[in-house]
Amino acid sequence: MKPLLGTLYLLGMLVPGGLGYDSEEYRVQCLSERNSNRNQGQANGLPVDSHSLPWLFQIYQWMSQISEKYREVVTQHLLGTTYENRTMYYLKISQPSNNTKKIIWMDCGIHAREWIAPAFCQWFVKEILQNYKENPRISKFLRNLDFYVLPVFNIDGYIYTWTTDRLWRKSRSSHNNGTCFGTDLNRNFNASWCSTGASKNCEDLIFCGTGPVSEPETKALSSFIESRKKNILCFLTMHSYGQLILTPYGYTQDKASNHEELIRFGQKAANALKAKHGTNYRVGSSVDILYATSGSSRDWARDIGIPFSYTFELRDNGTYGFVLPAAQIQPTCEETMEAVLSILDDVYAKYWQSNSARKVTSATAGLILLMSFSSLL
Amino acid sequence: MMTDPKRGCEVDLVFSTERYDLKEDEDQVGKCSARVFYKNEKPRPAVNVTCTRLIEKKKTQEEDYLLYKQLKQLRAPLDVGSIPDSHGHIDPSLRPIWDLAFLGSSYVMWEKTTQSLHYYLAQLNSVKQWKTNDDAIDFDYIVLLHEFPTQEIIPCRIHLIWFPGKPLKVKYHCQELQTPEEASGTEEGSAVALTESSNF
Repeated sequence: MKPLLGTLYLLGMLVPGGLGYDSEEYRVQCLSERNSNRNQGQANGLPVDSHSLPWLFQIYQWMSQISEKYREVVTQHLLGTTYENRTMYYLKISQPSNNTKKIIWMDCGIHAREWIAPAFCQWFVKEILQNYKENPRISKFLRNLDFYVLPVFNIDGYIYTWTTDRLWRKSRSSHNNGTCFGTDLNRNFNASWCSTGASKNCEDLIFCGTGPVSEPETKALSSFIESRKKNILCFLTMHSYGQLILTPYGYTQDKASNHEELIRFGQKAANALKAKHGTNYRVGSSVDILYATSGSSRDWARDIGIPFSYTFELRDNGTYGFVLPAAQIQPTCEETMEAVLSILDDVYAKYWQSNSARKVTSATAGLILLMSFSSLL
Repeated sequence: MMTDPKRGCEVDLVFSTERYDLKEDEDQVGKCSARVFYKNEKPRPAVNVTCTRLIEKKKTQEEDYLLYKQLKQLRAPLDVGSIPDSHGHIDPSLRPIWDLAFLGSSYVMWEKTTQSLHYYLAQLNSVKQWKTNDDAIDFDYIVLLHEFPTQEIIPCRIHLIWFPGKPLKVKYHCQELQTPEEASGTEEGSAVALTESSNF
């Protein structure tokens, strides 16, 4: 992984310009270190190398390079624009075929300070692309599934964690005549909006916004998902930290109609994750094992009919929290990959195993007929 | 777990402990059981804990003294940036600072924890050390506590004084959004009659 990622970053440095994206501005900002008043986390002007979490500029470079390198299956698309007018891009991984595909959605970095999450989105894409030809497990998925990956959802916030405040969480929308900044995008969705576990005070870190889907980022994702909801099987939203696989709901103790199945698939995923490096994850509904929340993207996705909707809270358990050491990036990504693949296995089997059984049956029937016919000759 | 709105909330725990620095020399895993009582959503829960198979007292004394020497060797005044840095890195020479800061912060976190609020140490800032006449370690620093479920980052200025074998002395002031807090002792907690340093 390291050499590949290192190469990609090096390519990133050599390729000039951005993608309609003001990269020069961010290089300059990256060099200055400014303290914020209230939250005193400092951005550290460390040079970014292949062993540390990627800077947004590099993420955009990487997106364009990987789309180019694997252009037979990858395309880059516009999702929408952020509050500060930055473009939100997602990657679509799709093997050309005549099949109508179902969709797996993954987004990372809805909360700015959760840096390991965008790193995982990148890792996931890399793993799929490097292995889809030779690895039967992955090539099987691509027969009937398309992957849509949004590596950084809250771009404005993410940049802010690099330039100003490492522990920023929210977006960077302006409120109260510029005295108050940021909405918690994961409280801004139209799922029992602001009913519990959220705040109407713009100073708070769980500020739900001025109304459901008030934020441009939320709007962009919501319209996109809404328009394709009939074809989306899986909605995975990646966060840190806590080592949890969360099912709906956060806003009520009531369970989703497929709750048992969600838990079963989730538990298998946690077991697969643990088998990799021994890391323990807990599985449960958000309100049961974490705390009450309303307006989350995961709950909203389930409510509009997407059957398998999960929040992942990645490493660690609080020792380093958001500032996860670079040495843990790769093992975290490897184990999380096992968990996601496990869920994909279960989802795939649920929808396509019976079809393949029928195919085998009709093939067998055909063979018997042929043999019977040839025995008559 | 028992919740009685009139009395409070009692939690029985069984847990194991491991070395904080995760050094795997002996397979030393402590076994503990504890009863924690929160009175009426108040902070500073009463804690009754018993552990077996903890590290031998002699060894902890040795390690305390080693930590003390490492801290004494650091030049005063210290002026370091965030620990860990944005990428989770702690310079090995600064690790003792983190360890001691973590210890002092755990006291502050206990003082603030209620049945619905809990904390983790997110980051350490602005460490300064002064020499004291009696050769104790004197640390003044700011920690950022990550508060659940509000997700807030609470800056707390902590002043701790430590000498191996003596109880840790902690004074602190946390910058609250709504209600500013002073150092321990001004608020009635759940725990009965605990002095500021008795648990350490």
